[in-house]
Amino acid sequence: MCNPAHFQIRKVTREFNVNGEKLTALDAVSLDIAEGEFVTIVGASGCGKSTLLRLGAGLDTTYSGRISHEGKVVTGPSLDRGMVFQEPRLFPWLTVERNVALGLENSKFTKSEKKRLVEEHLELVGLAGFARAYPHQLSGGMAQRAGIARGLVNRPNVLFLDEPFGALDAITKARLQDELNDIWARERITMVLVTHDVEEAVYLGDRVVVMSPRPGRIRDIVAVDLPRPRERTSAALARVRTRVLESLNSTESKPSVGPRLVEGERGSKSGPLRPAVALAN
Amino acid sequence: MGLTGALLPGALLVLWWIASDKGFLAEQILPPPAYVYETARDMIASGELFHHAGVSLRRVVVGFAFGAAAGLSLGVAMGLSRRAEDYLKPLFLAFAQIPTLGWIPLLMLLVGIDEALKFIVIAKGAFVPMVVNTFAGIRGVSPKLIEVGRALKFSDWQTLRLIVLPGAVPSIFTGIRYGLTHSWTSLVGVELLASSEGLGYLLVWGRQMFWLDMVIVAIIVIGLVGFAMDKSLDRTEVLIQRWKREELAA
Repeated sequence: MCNPAHFQIRKVTREFNVNGEKLTALDAVSLDIAEGEFVTIVGASGCGKSTLLRLGAGLDTTYSGRISHEGKVVTGPSLDRGMVFQEPRLFPWLTVERNVALGLENSKFTKSEKKRLVEEHLELVGLAGFARAYPHQLSGGMAQRAGIARGLVNRPNVLFLDEPFGALDAITKARLQDELNDIWARERITMVLVTHDVEEAVYLGDRVVVMSPRPGRIRDIVAVDLPRPRERTSAALARVRTRVLESLNSTESKPSVGPRLVEGERGSKSGPLRPAVALAN
Repeated sequence: MGLTGALLPGALLVLWWIASDKGFLAEQILPPPAYVYETARDMIASGELFHHAGVSLRRVVVGFAFGAAAGLSLGVAMGLSRRAEDYLKPLFLAFAQIPTLGWIPLLMLLVGIDEALKFIVIAKGAFVPMVVNTFAGIRGVSPKLIEVGRALKFSDWQTLRLIVLPGAVPSIFTGIRYGLTHSWTSLVGVELLASSEGLGYLLVWGRQMFWLDMVIVAIIVIGLVGFAMDKSLDRTEVLIQRWKREELAA
């Protein structure tokens, strides 16, 4: 957590053309993510949170503004940035281990290193016994674990997760959240997770970025200064959750309200090094 | 399938036996099953049946190989390149509408009535379904999987080799099955018209000689060979696409 300018998003605007009409998905969004930080992004559908993630991952490059990763402008996908999609997007014709190995297809590891990495990461996500299984033989939660292993196997230093647990049942979801938290704690990879689940956002994030729709803007950034592993039912977490919910609700009813800075946020504590909110408009 | 699939053929056999036994049709037109069976045994013993079936099979193998290879190439080209699709698809669609038999008069003038004619007609039978299914298979590959490839920095070649082609395999296999069926039926068609060997020729010859027993033997063999080919492709498909079959069973 030494480099505050690890991943920078500066005044990024993304417009789409929908039936000849201009639609602003993201309007001058700025966000700095520190190395090793776990940032979660919440917002109603249409707030541009997934668009922001795709831009960060380099899957979408038609934007104005600047996105940089370790000082280098993001111009496309990179093996330093991993991606986990909402649907696990496994290749149905490949076994789980070969699906995970796809993440290493373009890496410079030797064959035996690759084999070891795949094994390690299957172990990490708890799929060691399912290396030879085909995706259709897996449950939704197991398939998503495989998707996470594929995103991690190449040792990216940022992992983007686009509503990775959105399609899972509550029990599986909670378990996978804990596992993701463990992985993050162990591997120290920067993680950026998009979700529409406030509970998930506050449970996992160091900071929760609240976005508002039409046009997509960052409305608020809430620091979650609570030790890990966190207690889902703790009062402290509930207070943060309420904060985030209030923020979200205000984005719905009063779309013209400007950003609010809240005392006690990590960003404001660490001063200019870590701008918690950088909203330009 | 097991025995259930044998019920209807069995019933037909009984019906045939009753019809000829009771003399519903003249014996020259509908020879009794026992008589046909004897003819078949004689034809097998003399090697005649295997000779003609062998000739037909060889034609199908060669013609199908050419047609399927050409169809696969065109299907892949049109599937991958919008430009190739723009240039080639209209002509292909028009071409596909013309029944194989419709080409025969012209082809006879161009290449004569020898083996080349049969190969071309058989190849055409395989070509059309191969193109259609390969094209559909490639276009049907999930854009979401292609995006996974992008996120993993796949080159165009890796995308083709690791995503597009494997993703198109089920559809290509459908093309192979349809193609082989079409090849086999067009083979018999072309052998009826211009041949001195092969199972189709047996049909013509039997009709001319009024040896309906031989005609029936040929018909049954044509059906059995086609059935066996389709069955073995089915088995191959199950083996190649274990991941898919199990999905259906699950």
